[in-house]
Amino acid sequence: MHSLIQLSIVVLLLPLLSFVILIFFNRRLPRRGDFVGVGILGTAFAISLYMFWTVIVQTYDPAFKLAWDFTWIDLGNVPNVGPLKIKMGIVIDNLTVIMLAMVTLISLLVHLYSTGYMAGDKHYGRFFAYLGIFTFSMLGIVLSDNLFSIYMFWELVGLSSYLLIGFFFEKQSAADAQKKAFLTNRVGDIGMWLGILILYSQFHTFGYQEIFNNLAAGKFTMSNAWLTAAGVLLFMGCVGKSAQIPLHIWLPDAMEGPTPVSALIHAATMVAAGVYFVARIFALLTPDALHVIAFCGALTAFMAATIAITQNDIKRVLAYSTVSQLGYMVLGLGVGAYSAALFHLLTHAFFKACLFLGSGAIIHAMHHEQDMRWMGGLRKHMPWTFATFTFATLALAGLPLTSGFMSKDAILASAIGFAKVEGGGIYYIIPVLGFFSAMLTAFYMGRQIWLVFFGESRTHLKPAEEHHGHDAHAAQGGHHGHDDHDAHDEHHGVHEVAWNMRAPLVILASLSVFFVFSPDPLDGAKGWFMHMVQTPQTVVGRYVSEHPKAMVTAETALMAEAVQPEASHAITDASHANAEPAHAAAGNHGEGPVFTDERQAELAHGSHAAHYPAIIISSIMVVIGISMALVVFAFRIIDPDRTAAAIRPLYLFSYNKWYWDEMYEATVIRFSILLSKALSWFDAKIVDGIVNGVAITTRNFAFANGSFDKYVVDGLVNFTAFVVNTTGGILRKFQTGKVQTYVVLALLAVVGYFIYYFTKLIY
Amino acid sequence: MLSIIVFLPILAGLVILAVPSSQKQVIRIVSLLAALAQIVIALLIWRGYDPSMAGIIAAPGGSPAGSFQFIERLPWINIDLGNFGKLNIEYFLGVDGISISMVILTALISAIGVLSSWTIQKQVKGYFILYNLLATAMMGCFVALDFFLFYVFWEIMLLPMYFLIGMWGGPNREYAAIKFFLYTLFGSVFMLLVMIGLYFSVIDPVTHNHTFSLVAMASQENYIKGAILGPDNTLWRYVAFIVLFIGFAIKVPMFPFHTWLPDAHVEAPTPISVILAGVLLKLGTYGMMRINFPLFPEVFHASLYVIGIFGAINIIYGAFCALAQQDLKKMVAYSSISHMGYVLLGLAAGNSEGMLGALYQMFNHGTITAMLFLLVGVIYDRAHTRQLDKFGGLASYMPVYAGIVTVAWFASLGLPGLSGFISEAFVFVGAFSSVTTRNIAIVSVLGIVFGAAYLLWSLQRMFLGTRKPDAAYDLEVGSDGHEHIHFHDWKGKLDLDARELVMLVPLAVIIIALGIYPMPVIGLLTTSINKLVTVLTPVVMTSMN
Repeated sequence: MHSLIQLSIVVLLLPLLSFVILIFFNRRLPRRGDFVGVGILGTAFAISLYMFWTVIVQTYDPAFKLAWDFTWIDLGNVPNVGPLKIKMGIVIDNLTVIMLAMVTLISLLVHLYSTGYMAGDKHYGRFFAYLGIFTFSMLGIVLSDNLFSIYMFWELVGLSSYLLIGFFFEKQSAADAQKKAFLTNRVGDIGMWLGILILYSQFHTFGYQEIFNNLAAGKFTMSNAWLTAAGVLLFMGCVGKSAQIPLHIWLPDAMEGPTPVSALIHAATMVAAGVYFVARIFALLTPDALHVIAFCGALTAFMAATIAITQNDIKRVLAYSTVSQLGYMVLGLGVGAYSAALFHLLTHAFFKACLFLGSGAIIHAMHHEQDMRWMGGLRKHMPWTFATFTFATLALAGLPLTSGFMSKDAILASAIGFAKVEGGGIYYIIPVLGFFSAMLTAFYMGRQIWLVFFGESRTHLKPAEEHHGHDAHAAQGGHHGHDDHDAHDEHHGVHEVAWNMRAPLVILASLSVFFVFSPDPLDGAKGWFMHMVQTPQTVVGRYVSEHPKAMVTAETALMAEAVQPEASHAITDASHANAEPAHAAAGNHGEGPVFTDERQAELAHGSHAAHYPAIIISSIMVVIGISMALVVFAFRIIDPDRTAAAIRPLYLFSYNKWYWDEMYEATVIRFSILLSKALSWFDAKIVDGIVNGVAITTRNFAFANGSFDKYVVDGLVNFTAFVVNTTGGILRKFQTGKVQTYVVLALLAVVGYFIYYFTKLIY
Repeated sequence: MLSIIVFLPILAGLVILAVPSSQKQVIRIVSLLAALAQIVIALLIWRGYDPSMAGIIAAPGGSPAGSFQFIERLPWINIDLGNFGKLNIEYFLGVDGISISMVILTALISAIGVLSSWTIQKQVKGYFILYNLLATAMMGCFVALDFFLFYVFWEIMLLPMYFLIGMWGGPNREYAAIKFFLYTLFGSVFMLLVMIGLYFSVIDPVTHNHTFSLVAMASQENYIKGAILGPDNTLWRYVAFIVLFIGFAIKVPMFPFHTWLPDAHVEAPTPISVILAGVLLKLGTYGMMRINFPLFPEVFHASLYVIGIFGAINIIYGAFCALAQQDLKKMVAYSSISHMGYVLLGLAAGNSEGMLGALYQMFNHGTITAMLFLLVGVIYDRAHTRQLDKFGGLASYMPVYAGIVTVAWFASLGLPGLSGFISEAFVFVGAFSSVTTRNIAIVSVLGIVFGAAYLLWSLQRMFLGTRKPDAAYDLEVGSDGHEHIHFHDWKGKLDLDARELVMLVPLAVIIIALGIYPMPVIGLLTTSINKLVTVLTPVVMTSMN
């Protein structure tokens, strides 16, 4: 076993150890054992960092890959299949290593931050236990080498989010939110599960690599529609976890969880899982499946951005911005911008974690005030938070010199290239929605910054009764130690947070600067990430009828899957039909991968060509967005309230989140409850009614039978007896015992006989 | 070995018969000792079991010895019937991969049931005698390899169950008891007829006599051509299959024969519910795997689709009914119906993955549902109600209880890392891989969502939030300033006490351990499952051509 594999197993199991220790013993440990959680995560991060150093910095090979597995379940010699083993294993490539470092780092920072944020909570120790299992589940997803184990960890992430979203379970809204998150995710999961079943039923394996090899070898015997279905169904898992339309509804509600949890969910663990998973199965997605994914992502990015502009809760704005950014990543995968989408996943993780932890600092300082309408002027009181929050905002909005600029631009450039390759028309919707959402993002983040940090404090403007309700709400939510302050006073108690909450903000903000990822602030493709994480070759080219040439390429793709860059070059050279476009793309792109599949090569080429147009358009969009925010909120040239009143239906549509919840409430949920009641009635009255009916009928029949027995059968017996008895009684009369009577009777008989005889003789 | 494990409880019953009924503690301890001894023997059997031997049918040459293990075989009843030949009934016990996990499960659940019966106060002596009789009959069913013997154990089981529900049950116990009794009896009458028909159709390859041996019956070459259930008598073989199937389906219970189950559960005392859900229901599907399918493989193949449909109905219908329940125990009862649907679906898949999933699901459902009913019993003991809306906020006041409930509930909804997930996953894998049941599997995955829905909803209503205004307990602020709750006439510990923990923790450990690494159980099953599938398959092929 390679030492890196061993280390990765240690990294995986450490957070689980933290969970086990803390769930059982947190009350017996000093400080409720928070140091155990922080220490263990620190160790895990240190190991991950070592792995990162070894693989990314020292090896620096795009084709780096390690795999290890063991037999988990041995099914023996299965009839019609042969010996069958279900394996579990670990695969380590560049992406895995980067994800490991990212997840453990953010989890560590969240742990550290929570020692301040959650201090004094009733279930302080348990909180760290839950953070541990959350991190464990996510690391499991990252390391899995097969669909079965990723599904297991996938569901464990669901459990962890359930536990953490409902951490303040005494609050009804928190209990509702955790249930909603779990169930919504389950809906996505059943799709994912069906996708897994399609692939398993074909190849009797769950391993990614084996599935890819089988697909590339043309062993998929069902129709091509099933293959597309498999891709789309697997993507449904991502729709649930990464909060895409139509299953995004759980994510804003998940804000009921403590704010550090929001940071963990939104940056490092849960939502990243969906995008990561689609990246893992990227090679088996057919163009049709990719189109579904692209449109889903674009719509999600747009919808969430339109909702975010009207929300008042500081965390909800960030929640919808997460949904929107996830839409970008999914869009990116859909248009084939594999590296760019994952790049955005990474950059987004850092700045979004920074934003959430920053909002947590604000909420903490404001005594659980979350409504931006009653904030304002905080920059004077919280300079560190202000600086880091603002920088992360710029990254989210996509301003140059930030990491977010590079990754978002790469996605949008690919979206333009994609639309061109697909022949324009309807496919231009995708880049258009992408750019428009970029503008909205700049607008709502500008609004947020202004409302929170600039102007004067508006705490005193808060309506009294609402305030009261909020206090009770906060007191229930958790006792954070600062409750003695009076939040009614004008920012009286607002002060900068302590070092353990400030340090994570600074680290995360500094990880959002461009030079962490690329020396050229305008081009992420020149950085290490895009070099190390390259788009995998598709394995489904041969199943796509629209691309007749793909038949040839699939076989070469299979061999290229062995991932020897030289080998794949050689093979590409040999196949003349495809060498040209592939080389064209490679020549333009410098270090990009060389695709054997024609469509992939075209996409790569198109995305490169669209690089500068994308930069220009997106910069314009961002400038427009920020200017609008300044015009409306800083200079007050346009009154937001009056504007809202003027376009009230649109405003309400956005404010009420496009009415998704109401729609589900009125259809799916209501229908399910009605159906359950109807079936329960049917069960009690009809099914059981028939059973009881049969029983009663049987009993009545038995009674009738009894009566028949008593009156008819027994009656006949009695009647016979009666007849015999009566006859006997009559006959007895004759039997008197007197000789004279007998003589008379005998005489009468003789006389009678003679009379009979003679009358017969005469006639 | 098998005789000992079967008759130990009844031996304990005889001992109890001699103990004066005032010595309640002695009676309980005797029962517990017998149950613990049963576990020890079950573990010995587990250790001595060779998983490479297949079972299902006899070894080449017709002798079961090379195929089954721990065989005990004696002539039992031999009657000369003149022209009809001889009636040969054997005392024939043995285990293979189909039964070994059920033997372990039965021993485990019986012991936990004894612990759970500790609180029974009414007529303790009579209770434990009946309980031990039940334990013997259940174990006997799983190890009997002679159909007649199986039938005897099957019928013996009914009697104690009838009295245990009818005398120690809830307010409506007599209705529930008689419903259970008559329903099952209805099924077993047909079983008797089929059994006799089989006897006259099968010849033991070694002795050349008619036989009740299930091992001989499982090989189609032992059937006499022209006999009532001979290979060429298609009509009667179909009839026999169907009535036998109904007999077992009642026990599962399969829709539409399931309505006795919620009633029986709601009325039965906690330990009897545990036994009922943990072991008795498995006898239905065990009977299908041991008797119904291998004896009529060609009919089984023809009915795959129908069985699958019924499985799907159980899964989804059960889940929806559970969603509507207000009584926690009734909800758990419907969840049993839903989860046994997975077993049927796995059997209908007809391939190794599905069958393995079904058998493993039987084991897991046994442990998980036992836990669910024990947990229902815990709260019912304290609150004297099971209405879901009479609680709220329990997680704050009974943290240990809430923690274990969370484990059990999530096990029931099939969370990965817990054993139920693996079996359900295999059921789906099998059902989807079989072309016949693929569409049924697609529909049945809805059960995953609705299963989560009713479980999480009930969890929320009882444990999360705060105390409901009309809850079955009072809220008090203790001297330490913390809030406590108080049940009206409950004198014991508020959270789980030691006895309750001893019942629940081992089950939780098993559920978690087998969820992470299932091979200790699955490893016992695979050879037999693969054999069973082969026994069913060649006939399938010929009947298709």
